[in-house]
Amino acid sequence: MCLNWSEKMLKFVIKKLLLMIPMLLLISMIVFFGLQLTGIDPLNFMVSPETLSANAGNIDALRESLGLNAPLIVQYFRWLGICLTGNLGYSFSGAPIAETIAVRLPYTLELAGYSLILSAVIGIGIGLISAIRQNGIVDYAGRIFAVLGQAVPQFLVGIILIQVFSIQLGWFPAANRVSPGAANPFWDGFLHLFLPVMTLTIGMVAVLMRYARNTMLDVLKSDYIKTARSKGIPEWKVYLKHGFRNALKPVLVITMFRIPMLIGGSVVIESVFSYPGIGLTMTNAITSGDYPVVLITTLIIAAAMLICSFMVDVLNALLDPRVRLGE
Amino acid sequence: MNSQTSIKARNYAASSSLLKRNIHKFLDNKLALIGLIVVVMMTAACIIGALAGVDYETPNLYVMKSPPMPGHPFGTDTIGRDLFARVLYGGCFSIFIGVFCAVMSSAIGATLGAVAGYCGGWTDKVIVRISEIFQAFPQLVLVMMLVAIVNKRGLGNLLLIFVATGWMTTFRMVRNEFLSLKGETYVKVSEAFGMSKQNIMFKQVLPNVMSPIIVSTTTNVAFFILQEAALSFIGLGVADKTPTWGNILNVAKSVSVVTDQWWIWVFPGLSISLFVLAINFLGDGLRDVLDPKQQ
Amino acid sequence: MKKVFAFLMSVVMALGVFASCGPQQDSDSSENSGTSAPEFEESSLKLVLSTADGSSTDDRIPTPWYNRNMATNLMFRSLFIADSTLTSVKPDLADYTISDDGLIYEITVKDGLKWSDGEPLTAEDVVFSIKTAQKAASINAIYTSAFAKITDMVVEGNILTIKLAEPYASMVDVLAQFAILPKHVLKDSDPLTIDSDPFWQHPVTSGFYTIDEFKVGNYFTLKPNEYYEGEPPKIKKVTVSFVTDYVTAAQSGIADYLHGNATDIVEALRKTQKYTAYEVDVLFYKYFIFNMKGIDGKENAAMQNVAVRKAIIEAIDRAALTLLYPNASVLNSGVPDSYDAYNGFSYQFDAEQAKEDLKAAGYDFNRTFKICYYNNDQTSTDLINIVAYYLGQAGLKVETTLSNDGTTDLFTTRDYDLGFKGKSAFSIEEWYTEYLSSDALFANIFGGDTAFDELVAELFAATEEEKRSEVLRQLQALEQEKVYKVPVFTVGTYVFVSNRLKLPQDVRFCNPLYSCDLNFSNWEIA
Repeated sequence: MCLNWSEKMLKFVIKKLLLMIPMLLLISMIVFFGLQLTGIDPLNFMVSPETLSANAGNIDALRESLGLNAPLIVQYFRWLGICLTGNLGYSFSGAPIAETIAVRLPYTLELAGYSLILSAVIGIGIGLISAIRQNGIVDYAGRIFAVLGQAVPQFLVGIILIQVFSIQLGWFPAANRVSPGAANPFWDGFLHLFLPVMTLTIGMVAVLMRYARNTMLDVLKSDYIKTARSKGIPEWKVYLKHGFRNALKPVLVITMFRIPMLIGGSVVIESVFSYPGIGLTMTNAITSGDYPVVLITTLIIAAAMLICSFMVDVLNALLDPRVRLGE
Repeated sequence: MNSQTSIKARNYAASSSLLKRNIHKFLDNKLALIGLIVVVMMTAACIIGALAGVDYETPNLYVMKSPPMPGHPFGTDTIGRDLFARVLYGGCFSIFIGVFCAVMSSAIGATLGAVAGYCGGWTDKVIVRISEIFQAFPQLVLVMMLVAIVNKRGLGNLLLIFVATGWMTTFRMVRNEFLSLKGETYVKVSEAFGMSKQNIMFKQVLPNVMSPIIVSTTTNVAFFILQEAALSFIGLGVADKTPTWGNILNVAKSVSVVTDQWWIWVFPGLSISLFVLAINFLGDGLRDVLDPKQQ
Repeated sequence: MKKVFAFLMSVVMALGVFASCGPQQDSDSSENSGTSAPEFEESSLKLVLSTADGSSTDDRIPTPWYNRNMATNLMFRSLFIADSTLTSVKPDLADYTISDDGLIYEITVKDGLKWSDGEPLTAEDVVFSIKTAQKAASINAIYTSAFAKITDMVVEGNILTIKLAEPYASMVDVLAQFAILPKHVLKDSDPLTIDSDPFWQHPVTSGFYTIDEFKVGNYFTLKPNEYYEGEPPKIKKVTVSFVTDYVTAAQSGIADYLHGNATDIVEALRKTQKYTAYEVDVLFYKYFIFNMKGIDGKENAAMQNVAVRKAIIEAIDRAALTLLYPNASVLNSGVPDSYDAYNGFSYQFDAEQAKEDLKAAGYDFNRTFKICYYNNDQTSTDLINIVAYYLGQAGLKVETTLSNDGTTDLFTTRDYDLGFKGKSAFSIEEWYTEYLSSDALFANIFGGDTAFDELVAELFAATEEEKRSEVLRQLQALEQEKVYKVPVFTVGTYVFVSNRLKLPQDVRFCNPLYSCDLNFSNWEIA
């Protein structure tokens, strides 16, 4: 029985993972050909207009060496071939993309990861407490915060935090991820991450808190909690063992489900904090017409989104026996 | 045939008394009521302002960046345009973006969700894949590509993209509901009666999932307004000629404006926050009324 | 059991994917920054490079062959060094003599010069640099147009003889900007994409400093170049951070030296009271161009009438527009009004007259008048909005487009009437070369009109001041007759230096995008 289940599970996971490949391919094709439709000439971003007129000959040579004269289909498969070898190709500005990603992806994962953990802990924590002590101080404060956190545009929160904490008070750096000559890299990292993580967390906490509160309220109203209480089990045990455990599952699913929001948010927030992650790289590549970089960063973000939705599926399958595997 | 109309009539009577009860319930919810009033008042103010033809576009470089004063209750912006007029006029566009995109994306999501959930099989698989691709696609890249293809940072682009990238949550929700409702007796009965598929999907089953759709549409209005502001901030929003709360707020990019000319960003920022807040209260209220299960 | 397993697995998966990299990253950064003591930050000169304006990316040092900046000026030297006017030079790596006909330059490279890796710096490096520059794609046009005149280069020992096809008045000034790069390191790299060579993360330099540490996406630091033969700088360490916003950088105290021309930066820095501002006159042109006619003969019919073009200039209050910048002056030709060579003509703002003139010229007020611009900073957007408003007042139906790709839209697609441009010019000559029928870009919108060709050639050959002024006056008269470009204003730049620095008395700043003698070795941190 148990073996059968894990076999099924394994099959399900593998199938889902395999499905991601054609989807990523399709996305890469949409972006690749979509970018061609834009008719933007990347050389115009690489070379100033004045130069363009002064050395037309050099420019043609550059175009040839970047492979921009080949037919589109050829360009696409050439690009795909290079990607499959794992080196991800070169940006139009000549930097190996794999290297760029190797530096920036960890930065973004740090930012998103810490925000996720922090917002999950704070959001779920406050949500549960405010459900248990409904209409108490924590409940009111939390709900007001939740509504405000969702109502103020995230970039504005970021700008205000920079103004107050790094410019007026001078407690935190306003940009980058690493300071030159920091004596303690952990402390330095903490200082650089604090404000952007806070900005992202505020938005996430607001969402998670509401879900956690509502779910916990539902659970507390349910029959088995009543039964547990009637059995004379101590109140804290009822909350922790029966309430919390049951409420946590749907909340975790929601948390996963909200990760795309975090990724989308970090694109904007990285730009606010000049934080050198994937999001900023993508924004810069978009404004500078650097197709190869746009392609790769798009795919990375798409892959992250797909993994999240995959995990939601798996979680759902694991937690809810009604959802049949393979559907 | 006869029996069907009578069921309809009875249903109607029942739903009208339910409606009355719901309205009472809604009016009892203070926050939701306040939300509704704020939303209606802000929308009305914006529309009246726009219809009255407030002057939102005349620059006056000799009074640029002036703080609030008589004649300019919200002050003037970086080129001396009246901010009060701009916030009113921009409100029309922002609210329009929010409402239009929310309604359209819900409509698309609900339709596709109904089809996928009800038909199942290959149709379902294909639509689910498509939705996953859309969900995975960074909105930013889509916006950038469309802007470049059309070569214009117009309102139309933005609406198209928001609708195209915004229907998936409603889709998932409706599809799930359909998957579970498909097995219910009344659907089986309708099928046995030989009702057409469209009829069953949209007239019999869909009304049962209307409440969550209405609630999510409401909160999506707020989401799209915020989204528009974020896109404006990274320079991919609507062109400056069409004021929106987002692109008025855009000047907050300049640090000296943030510190020295607070009125330029505080008023549009407040408008966004107030409206979004009110919409969220309204949405919560509607949820309480329509969908006690989700409360 | 099943559920517990499931739960654990999902938690591990979720946390694994998103959090595992955190600690890893931290340990990675500790390798690099553990070396320095906390007090070092105070003793180092703090510079910033902007990644937002497209002049620099945060993964390498920007090539000194495009725009110069403080950081690259401290690392790379040229044959000569200019004063703040950029038109008078002193020997640096070399000295020179010019033949009477202006065709032969004899350049004597100093003896005993060394690169920062200890290799000798010779005339061969100079030849290599010039030849590479002739093939490079990302390079400032002042070098390409000057080096295009070179027909021959001969090296004998430390003497380099350069022969020109025709006299080129500003050759020495251009060479004073041109950074010499090391042949022994770069000889195998592709000249076309030399600006993106891995060299730019760990360059071998010739100036005061050489690279110490490079932290991609964040900063790089410089240490004194032990092979520098001149007076060593008093400042022993330089850090250069990549930032997206100068004002934030200044306010948060990570910049000792900045430059800018926009109102917000000037106001914000003045308010901090931590900086001394130096006003610098630069030739930063802001101007409109009319889309006239392509070389393919495709005409923009509505703009052909010169009376229409003149009326459009009349409709714009350019004096009011200067208020957008802290230090802008109205321009009436390629020669600023304050120069001796200015011919005295000026366009007057008169909205009513403009309306009359447009009517008289038979302009169709129902057509949509299209403005195209590509700078997306707030001030440019503001400026375009105001111009659109003025033209609207004159009765035109105006539509503005922010182009993603200015070059294609202005010179290839050409779906506009009036295009907005900026140009930070090295000399007035650059303004007039745009009128040349051979200019690969502008020929596309000015229809390859040959009217300017002869005068511009004369301007380039004019080695005497008087002759130059005379040619300039003729050129101004011609451009004011043709009205292909609408000069709006020139924008003066400010250089800001932190009060923490003690500068020698005689420092005069030049255009911060070029290089000049700042007596840097005597700069001190107070």
